[in-house]
Amino acid sequence: MEKKPVLSVKNLKTYFYTEDGIVKAVDGVDFDVYQGETLGIVGESGCGKSVTALSILRILDEKGRIVEGQVLLDGVDLTKIEEQDMRKIRGKDIAIIFQEPMVALNPVFTIGDQIMEAIMLHQKVDEKTARNMAVDLLRKVGIPEPEKRIDQYPHELSGGMRQRAMIAMALSCKPKVLIADEPTTALDVTIQAQIMELMKELQKEYGMAIMLITHDLGLIAENADRVVVMYAGKVVEYADVKTLFNDPKHPYTWGLLHAIPRLDIEQTRLYNIPGVVPDPLHFPPGCKFNPRCEFKEERCTREEPQLIEVGENHTVRCFFWQKVDEAKKRKVGEFV
Amino acid sequence: MRVETRRTLRRLLRNPSAVLGFSLLIFFTLIAIFAPLICPPQSYDPYMIPIVTWDKTPQPPSEGHPFGIIDGRDIFYGVVWGTRTAFKVGLTVTLTSTLVGLVIGSIAGYFGGWLDEVLMRITDVFLSIPYILAAIVMTAFLGMGLDKVMISLIIFGWMATARLIRANILQAREEQYVLAAKALGVSDFWVITKHILPNTIFPVLIQATMRIGSLVITAAALSFLGLGAPVGYADWGALLNFARNWLLGASGEALRYWYAIVYPGTAMVLFVLAWNLVGDALRDAFDPRLRG
Amino acid sequence: MLTYIVRRLLLLPLILFGLSLIVFGMIQSLGPDRLLAAYVNPGVLDKLTPAQLEKIKQKYGLGDPMMIRYLKWLKNTLQGDLGWSLVGKQPVRDAILSRLPWTAELALYSIIPVVFVGVWLGVIAAVNRDKFLDHFVRIFAVVGWSFPDFVFGLIVLMVFYSILGWFPPGNLSLWADQVIKSPEFRRFTSLVTIDALLNGRFDVFVDALRHLVAPILTLSWLWWAYLLRITRSSMLEVLTKEYIRTARAKGLSERVVINKHARRNAMIPVVTVGGGMVIQLFAGTVIVEMVFNRTGMGSFTATAATQLDYASIMASTLFYSLILVLGNLVIDILYAVVDPRVRLG
Repeated sequence: MEKKPVLSVKNLKTYFYTEDGIVKAVDGVDFDVYQGETLGIVGESGCGKSVTALSILRILDEKGRIVEGQVLLDGVDLTKIEEQDMRKIRGKDIAIIFQEPMVALNPVFTIGDQIMEAIMLHQKVDEKTARNMAVDLLRKVGIPEPEKRIDQYPHELSGGMRQRAMIAMALSCKPKVLIADEPTTALDVTIQAQIMELMKELQKEYGMAIMLITHDLGLIAENADRVVVMYAGKVVEYADVKTLFNDPKHPYTWGLLHAIPRLDIEQTRLYNIPGVVPDPLHFPPGCKFNPRCEFKEERCTREEPQLIEVGENHTVRCFFWQKVDEAKKRKVGEFV
Repeated sequence: MRVETRRTLRRLLRNPSAVLGFSLLIFFTLIAIFAPLICPPQSYDPYMIPIVTWDKTPQPPSEGHPFGIIDGRDIFYGVVWGTRTAFKVGLTVTLTSTLVGLVIGSIAGYFGGWLDEVLMRITDVFLSIPYILAAIVMTAFLGMGLDKVMISLIIFGWMATARLIRANILQAREEQYVLAAKALGVSDFWVITKHILPNTIFPVLIQATMRIGSLVITAAALSFLGLGAPVGYADWGALLNFARNWLLGASGEALRYWYAIVYPGTAMVLFVLAWNLVGDALRDAFDPRLRG
Repeated sequence: MLTYIVRRLLLLPLILFGLSLIVFGMIQSLGPDRLLAAYVNPGVLDKLTPAQLEKIKQKYGLGDPMMIRYLKWLKNTLQGDLGWSLVGKQPVRDAILSRLPWTAELALYSIIPVVFVGVWLGVIAAVNRDKFLDHFVRIFAVVGWSFPDFVFGLIVLMVFYSILGWFPPGNLSLWADQVIKSPEFRRFTSLVTIDALLNGRFDVFVDALRHLVAPILTLSWLWWAYLLRITRSSMLEVLTKEYIRTARAKGLSERVVINKHARRNAMIPVVTVGGGMVIQLFAGTVIVEMVFNRTGMGSFTATAATQLDYASIMASTLFYSLILVLGNLVIDILYAVVDPRVRLG
């Protein structure tokens, strides 16, 4: 399928200049997001996935700076345009939902105020129309009694309702791309499923692209079309969802998948990737995953691997990805 | 923890206002310690500024009297020995009132119930009168004098600490580690002295440091009103009181008396500034969230 | 909200009762002999025989048990009789009523600019964090906060009165004082600046203002510095919040993000913490009125205290406490206004 991507990120590098040194939070990331599709970005906390989202919208805090790369929205490089033009894109073409709706909604304004603000900013409508649109949006995202809820403050809603309000706000201008940064992490499991269902429905209706950022592989498996796996500011593997889950090539991806408890086979012990995410100020030399990698060789501590093509639309950042294949065959009884 | 301590120290040293605050404090401490060498006392009570002339009119700085003379007394002597007075008042009042607050707050937080209720209502009553006013009235009743000023400032100065400690104890009681200790059968008293107070002591100390400056101001204000230190006592507020009388009566030629305000005034501002800077620096270093 | 206000107002007499008990207790602890000094001229006191002294003590009920004396005071006070003021040489009530407007004028004209300027500077400092303006404003704040009001007042007095001759001490010039005491000058509000304008006496207005500028500046200085510091740190904290990021992600301009989303939230601690402190500005009138030789509640209280004028001390202490407690009530209500999460009651 030769589709043109709505959003494409090319060699994005975002560094934070802290008093302790330069943190390379995002260090050369590439991916494309297609219309009507969901791109999953997965990785442990601190791997740079959220910073990538903030970089796309250019809402990093003052210490963070995009030092290289492009963010193309319909061919326009967002890293180059003026701030005032960027403002017209935020909330209109690209919208974002954050993890914790309690802290992401302003506590001193009603949810109606906050939704109408976005509508009136990007669409030339009067207050009354905006209010009606906000009520419709709230109804659409499944909030009961929207006429009443619109005048309530965030603290008066439940966690699930808040996230729905947040989604209503993000969708108020029918964005081309919706970035969902851990949209369900703070919610109860049953609510999680409802929210994801809602997002899928809305995606179908609006035909927008979703960038789903999460650490939860289950969520990815159910919702994403393509997946980017990030580790220490870099993409380590990129594939469509089926390929990734059935045929992971990077030791890190393999480890992550291994760490999911399974019901279909008997497991004596849950696998864990050994070690911890490295301190971003003191990355190890060579491949950044090498201290935790069970297939490590001498070369990995010396030289940083590049992304290599291992199949159709499947790239991986590892010298020894074949080793993962061998391991998979060995443990075939354990891992299908 | 080591790394954290080193980081805290580095943050303190890299902050110019913290360095300035600590330097000023060291400077004043040295002056207070070496006061007898800088200005040898001339009577049995070194805090009484010696009278150098019976002429009451202020006299500008001259040789032997670098800060000038007011009310027949050497301003330089008053400023130098006034440093001791400022330390004495500031530290005594802060330490004692903090201790009082610590005890009252702990009792309220520890026993709870009606005792807590009563103590907190008493705290409310003490808080319902402005501090400076309370100090003025109380000192007036006790009879004037620096010791009376200190007593008044202590009596009306413990409430903030008490509330802080009580709130911390109530909060800490719900913490996991305290619940765990209690589940093991450790007594409440032990839990408070062993687990809660040590964790509360930093905020209390920082609060106390930040209070010293305004305490010294209040004490000096009482002396300025003529309620504090007796006439002739080495106290910055009392020196400024002399200056006020000359200023009000001298339209057009007040510049003649600038030294009577500028020297004691500067000493006071720098002293208070030192404590405020140190207080800020400590707060910033130990609780960066509150950085102001 | 209304029930909360009513309940707090009902609690008010209780607090004042407790306070009056404390102050009264302090007074009575002095003993009848010290108290006697308040009723008899000190020069005469030495010449009186013990029998005469006893008689005077009885006349004023100085020997009675404290509770009896307190109840007597309470009864008189509730009937509106606050006693005789030695300092004012008139009934305490009249003394307070004649001085109150001067202090009210001073405090009100100080507190309003303080709030606006302090908050404004704090927001500016926070937005320009670690830039030149921020450093400048912060240095101003920390030095200002360290400046005792009476030192600052003396410097203002020296510069603006003694050297420049712009702002004289006192309440009014002699001629203006005579104007406002004349029968043609109608007192509408008893605030002299406003009355002067209403009477069309612009010259009196200007004179009153000239006398007000220096004390206002002195009274405000400290609290400008204080409010600015609180606002700044509160703004900085709010600016790190996620809802600010949400606001930016909507495409709002930085001006709207700061002036609408951030400032409203930053006001919450400013109101609760800052407000509680700024009420102390009223107490500052005690020092400022003394420095500038003004007649008012502050100088009245200070003089009463130095001269052990008990009736006046009792009354003015309660007066200042009333202001403080009512001020705190206003702050609680404001708190509920700025923060919808707060439910009073």
